[in-house]
Amino acid sequence: MENKQSSSPASFIDSTIVPGDVVLDLSSMTNQTIKLGGGLRQDCDVISAMKAGTLRFSKPNKYWIESSQKRYVPCVEDTVLGIVVDSKADNFLIDIKGPTLAFLPVLAFEGGTRRNIPKFELGTLLYLRVVKANFGMNPELSCTDASGKAAEFGPLKDGYMFETSTGLSRKLLSSPTCPVLEALGKKLSFEIAVGLNGRVWVNAASPDTVVVAANAIMNSESLSTAQQIIMVEHLLKNIQ
Amino acid sequence: MEGRLANAWRLTVNDKNFIKTALLSEIRIDGRKPFEYRKISIKFGREDGSSEVQLGQTRVMGIVTAQLVQPYRDRPKEGMLSIFTEFSPMADPSFEPGRPGELAVELGRIIDRGLRESRAVDTESLCILAGKFVWAVRIDIHILDNGGNLVDAANIAALAALLTFRRPECSLGGEDGQEVIVHPPEIREPLPLMVHHLPIAITFGFFSNESILLIDPTHNEEAVMNGRMTTTVNANGDICAIQKGGGEGVPQRVIMQCLQLATSKAASITKQIKDAVEAFNTERALRKIKRHPTSTGVDVREKQNQ
Repeated sequence: MENKQSSSPASFIDSTIVPGDVVLDLSSMTNQTIKLGGGLRQDCDVISAMKAGTLRFSKPNKYWIESSQKRYVPCVEDTVLGIVVDSKADNFLIDIKGPTLAFLPVLAFEGGTRRNIPKFELGTLLYLRVVKANFGMNPELSCTDASGKAAEFGPLKDGYMFETSTGLSRKLLSSPTCPVLEALGKKLSFEIAVGLNGRVWVNAASPDTVVVAANAIMNSESLSTAQQIIMVEHLLKNIQ
Repeated sequence: MEGRLANAWRLTVNDKNFIKTALLSEIRIDGRKPFEYRKISIKFGREDGSSEVQLGQTRVMGIVTAQLVQPYRDRPKEGMLSIFTEFSPMADPSFEPGRPGELAVELGRIIDRGLRESRAVDTESLCILAGKFVWAVRIDIHILDNGGNLVDAANIAALAALLTFRRPECSLGGEDGQEVIVHPPEIREPLPLMVHHLPIAITFGFFSNESILLIDPTHNEEAVMNGRMTTTVNANGDICAIQKGGGEGVPQRVIMQCLQLATSKAASITKQIKDAVEAFNTERALRKIKRHPTSTGVDVREKQNQ
């Protein structure tokens, strides 16, 4: 432990860490503001890891841990896919695969007022943004972007939703485009919405396109780039 | 595993509609045809009489044990066969610990009916001493992961476990010839059960109005379908049991179609179970062979160690 504290924080970036690892020593970095993301916590003078994963750093001052798991831990500004479970007077209750249900205030829509509260059937699939994620509170969601516009948020029509790990959904959103999506996109046209909570929604004109795309994405998790492309080509050959 | 995390009540409206519309053009979400069965894999534990069956994402474990008990008064010459089910909440969040749910009871009953009423296991050969001692065979079914169609997977697990189970050999002795001697497995090779035929359960799902029929429904399809029917048939084409669930009415023509499909599937599943059991028996026999060191080189080294 002593060794780790003395080593420079830069050495931990992009490397694998386990819970309890001391990532940053605050006493050696005065006059700096840092922002902590998921999986990190402050213990007095040090920042330590709470879960296993890869430490990421984004300039100028953001640190977070990336890992792949089935359960989603809500984090502010994540875009997620949620399912309406219940509707109350002030909030919709949404399942986002988190430890607790999330609240979606009935006014958190573009131009939302008491008069035009939307009606959602139970089981409606929504594309949402996490606004608040505090300890001991249910997370709060919103159907607008930070400036109050609807952007692409809101209910998703038709299509098929399936569940993946959070790691895979992060890979699908990464840039440059994930090879499986790139390979599928060359031959098929489909619409996709990826939530960071490990839910993916696919829609296309014909059901067999949806089935092929969904299965290709689900199979791609443990494959390398080359393997993903071969797998997609193999699948596409079968349907033609 | 991931796919079925969506609990039945959390299945979205989109998914329900998609499953229905895709079925109209004979497409299923896992890329199967309506009458295609998922891949079955059968594994065995180190102990005799334990099996683990994987059917797609469904995983079921079957364990067979036996003990000597006094028979029922009205059937003094017959052994007993009983089935117990265990639905762990780990398999599916909707399974509650404690009291068995409706599904657990139904699953146990279907398998019990298939095995017992068709007299698949010869219970008379389980008798040691009429009216005093018979073997009571107990089948425990543990659901490890619910990916849909638990009945079929549990039935295969039960059969695979029964086929590999061996009971200790017994003989009568003592002064009056009324004393039962149970021979330990080291002294006399344990005996397998007498299983006459394998009743295979095949489950069908029905969807309303369009009269769509599919075989081996997954967890998501189970949440959408209106009715189901489990037919228990063996490879010879004998019908052992039929269980119909859900509200949907099924015309006679469809039942006959189901039975034909079931018979052909049962034949291929029977073959898979038999192949797996045979492979296990070969491995078991090989394990029993004691290998003596033959080469002198080994002896020298042993002496040096001493």
